[in-house]
Amino acid sequence: MEASQALTNPTPNPNPNPNPNPNNNYASNRNSILSSTPVWPTIDGPLGLSEDESLSYARRFYKFGYALLPWLWAVNCFYFWPVLRHSRSFPSLRPYVVGSAVGFTVFSAILCSWALTFAIGGEHLFGSIWDQLVMYNVADRLGLTGWS
Amino acid sequence: MAQNQRPTTFLDSFGEEIIRILTPVSICMFLVVLLVSILNSNSSASVTSIATIAYSETSSDSSWDKFLGALLNSLAFVAVVTVATFILVLLFYLRCTKFLKIYMGFSSFVVLGFMGGEIALFFIEEFSVPIDCISYLVVLFNFAVVGVLAVFMSKMAILVTQGYLVLIGMFVAYWFTLLPEWTTWVLLVVMALYDLAAVLLPVGPLRLLVELAMSRDEDIPALVYEARPVTHHDSGSGENTVRRRVWRERRNVRHDSEDNSNLDGNVVSDSNSTVVAVQHCHNGSIIARVEEGQVSEGNAELSAPLIDHRMNGQDGMSTESLVLEGMGLGSSGAIKLGLGDFIFYSVLVGRAAMYDFMTVYACYLAIVAGLGITLMLLAFYQKALPALPVSIALGVLFYFLTRFLLEVFIVQCSLNLVMF
Repeated sequence: MEASQALTNPTPNPNPNPNPNPNNNYASNRNSILSSTPVWPTIDGPLGLSEDESLSYARRFYKFGYALLPWLWAVNCFYFWPVLRHSRSFPSLRPYVVGSAVGFTVFSAILCSWALTFAIGGEHLFGSIWDQLVMYNVADRLGLTGWS
Repeated sequence: MAQNQRPTTFLDSFGEEIIRILTPVSICMFLVVLLVSILNSNSSASVTSIATIAYSETSSDSSWDKFLGALLNSLAFVAVVTVATFILVLLFYLRCTKFLKIYMGFSSFVVLGFMGGEIALFFIEEFSVPIDCISYLVVLFNFAVVGVLAVFMSKMAILVTQGYLVLIGMFVAYWFTLLPEWTTWVLLVVMALYDLAAVLLPVGPLRLLVELAMSRDEDIPALVYEARPVTHHDSGSGENTVRRRVWRERRNVRHDSEDNSNLDGNVVSDSNSTVVAVQHCHNGSIIARVEEGQVSEGNAELSAPLIDHRMNGQDGMSTESLVLEGMGLGSSGAIKLGLGDFIFYSVLVGRAAMYDFMTVYACYLAIVAGLGITLMLLAFYQKALPALPVSIALGVLFYFLTRFLLEVFIVQCSLNLVMF
């Protein structure tokens, strides 16, 4: 039963049942299908990490994301999608994944607004700086696409 | 719970396994064709590299001169690749795994960061996208760093790792299509022959590498695309433990000291073409490199153009580990395809796209047929096989047949409103 759940169910959401039983100790009750919480914290299911291993991964991704890496935060959220989706599962992982999600949204909001301002504003908002900042001029100046 | 107990043959999962390896190959080829048709319409860019070191093609030479020149170029390139592969085997033999891993991470960073950046710049200049350099740099930096992590770490999300491997193959393949035409075709043929020799001959470097890896039960240090294993639903194991097919982890129950260090970073280490080049070439930044127009090429070998089918639960596994795994499935290994194969298939199709789309369709079908044949041989022989020869042979054959025979026929039919 649980074996087939692990094998035939690539998505970590097991069969819904009438009384959800939040499972507090996964170590002993890992095989219980009475709980509606997933067993695998990663999106890869049984091919991915177990809960113990994934704590260090989630934490590391979260911390590295502060080095101007919002995409790493997004990958973190994608990888630990079951943690985000089932709000009462994996309490140890949750702060990092939620933090990554928040960080990604904030950073991408800032980046998008800046990029859109730059693109739409154009010269009459920025003046001559626009020509110096826009990428195709920079590439020409530095000869980055020198062989085309 | 009653489960289906019918025995599985390799044919049951064969279709699914084929699809799981054909999809990324097709995506890579499609993206390269897209890039080629968008970016190459204006300029005829030619690039100096190791593959053009002996002869640079000009359109005024006679066919025989061009052919000889292309042959010299290809032989020089294959010589470099052979030497580099032997160095790789030596390093692997001396267990310099950390160095190989760092090298692979560095090469991925260069391919994704610099070559990806170049291609993005081509797009930006082509379509005059008003992006500023700050956002461009942030996005590129993110893309490259996460790519390095995906390739470096063995436990990233499978989809992310596979996606980045396909992208690396695409960038390198696009770069190869910038070579002159005769050189490209002769290079493909010569590389297919090299692949055949390197994997099947007992003295071939790739065969030595595979045998070393298998005897030590480690993964080959190369950029290798691994498809997801196909799960069987009828494994009648009555155990209550949660069965877990571990992704890319060696089930080293023995836990030797080396295996412990390798347990985390098993997959992937090594380079692919252009990157080894960058390392060998002068210390200047990428900008200086581009300005001089000198890009030396390296070793496609390290992306190991071979195909391998690892059987889970076999090869020197103790019964204890078999029970732990609870599998006993035996026939559901994961198919691995070296990134060099991705690259050369895409180069062939990209080159075909430079002529016409008709050749693209013909070459795509030929390559897929060749890959299917290779996979069947793999299932039959159960050992590492070269994936290049059959596909490249069919692809090149179909390209020339289409270009010189089929096109004339189709054009005449269309003009006279007979067909199509």
